[in-house]
Amino acid sequence: MKNINSNGVYFLKEAITVFRLNLLSNILSLFSIALIFFMFAMMFSGWRVSNHVAEALQTEAEINVYYNKSIGTEGALQLAGQIEGIYGVKEARLVNESEAYNRMEKILGEESKVLKVFDENPFSSYLEVKIDLEQTDLVLKGLKILPGIEHVRNNRDVLDRVRSIAGTIRIFGTMVLLAVAICTMVIVSHMIRQGIEQNKEQINTLRLLGAPEMFIGSPFLLEGLLLTLGGAAISGLAAALTIRQINFQMASTLPFMPLPSAGVLTHQMLLAIGFLGIVLGIAGSFLGLASARKS
Amino acid sequence: MKAKAVIEAAGVSLRYPDGTLALNNIDLQIQQGELAFVTGPSGSGKTSLLKLLLGMEYPTSGYVEVLGQDMNLTQASAIRKLRRRIGPVFQEFKLLKGRTVLENVILGQRFLDVPQTQMKENSLDALKKVGLEHKALSLVENLSWGEHQRVAIARAVARKPLLILADEPTGNLDKENALKILDLLASFKDNKTSVLITTHATHLMKSEYTNMIIKIDQGALEWERIG
Repeated sequence: MKNINSNGVYFLKEAITVFRLNLLSNILSLFSIALIFFMFAMMFSGWRVSNHVAEALQTEAEINVYYNKSIGTEGALQLAGQIEGIYGVKEARLVNESEAYNRMEKILGEESKVLKVFDENPFSSYLEVKIDLEQTDLVLKGLKILPGIEHVRNNRDVLDRVRSIAGTIRIFGTMVLLAVAICTMVIVSHMIRQGIEQNKEQINTLRLLGAPEMFIGSPFLLEGLLLTLGGAAISGLAAALTIRQINFQMASTLPFMPLPSAGVLTHQMLLAIGFLGIVLGIAGSFLGLASARKS
Repeated sequence: MKAKAVIEAAGVSLRYPDGTLALNNIDLQIQQGELAFVTGPSGSGKTSLLKLLLGMEYPTSGYVEVLGQDMNLTQASAIRKLRRRIGPVFQEFKLLKGRTVLENVILGQRFLDVPQTQMKENSLDALKKVGLEHKALSLVENLSWGEHQRVAIARAVARKPLLILADEPTGNLDKENALKILDLLASFKDNKTSVLITTHATHLMKSEYTNMIIKIDQGALEWERIG
């Protein structure tokens, strides 16, 4: 331990020397690691965006309740209050005929002129009920026993699909991230092992002089960690710029998409890359050192 | 008072996996503060003897002790500790490229319990003794063959070892330079430090500092003390 502490500067200098002596190969390794981390960063960001969108869609999950017009607006508002009392309902509000018309106009955009065909507003008022997606069945059961309800449009298929997409994204994203992390670790360990192989003679000399294995291995561990962190830093920078660009493009072409802010996404991505860089750098270096020692 | 034996071997044989018998039933004893030359033709077993003493090979049979360390069935950690008390000078120098002369000499002490400032002092002192103080900051790849040799010696002696093992330090050197190297290695012999040198150059050995000549031929060894 005493040697490790007092030789800290030496280990760092040695790591730099080892890097310098195999410059081309190490630069290629650095960029390979950066590329892997860049792919990881993109995967991570895609996963975060999909999660965010899926969560937003789930939050926005709603059903439409059409009531008997004989109860009038007063009755409809009372019904909305009763609906809000059902477990799983977040909010229930009345959408009158003109709001329904305006919404459709907005959705149709340039095609909204088709609505002019009608002499009167073809839309009827209804209750818009925001619900917890997981409690859909319970809400529908609760609605059935309320008086004054004529019809419920529950968008069941769409809601189920949203839930299934959210689950798939979560599982698939986690698996892909795990696969990229394992690949990174294997590649880093392989690079460290190669570095050790290239410096076999130096290692042999140190052994003959009586150097402890930890003393011999430390510069290589440090080199692995620096390579990984360097790769993570390069990829972090490139990914931050890319995310900003993609986010801008998506926000301007798909304005209705509930995207997370580029700043938050970049911050999360940089944290993930930094953490992964340290963990995989250490793990990969130890793995490489152990396998080189074995061989 | 009787001097301590730094190397003791009894009935030692070394056979390589391919069946070659490198050392055949040898007996040897070198005392503290002695300088011994190991001579013999190429392939006679000189380097094998040094490998055995440095723990690079284990004896097939017999008993070897170096600086009080039993070399039979010794654990790797014990061999490593033993090597820290030895100053080896390898035939092919084994200096690290891309590092300066001083860095190479200091490197041999980094894992010994030597304070940082003392390491530098020892190294500069050793470089002064081998006449290379002015090359301390040169990269080793810029040195001549003879200078490489002297840096390797400086690295060995800066460690203040109890035993210097030099493998063919005069190989590829002309007579004048070979003599200088042998004189230099002999100058490190003192009450504490013993020196063992393998060499072809028997005609360069001086009786004034030689205590022992060990002759090896086809793995068989005979030795005589001088003076």
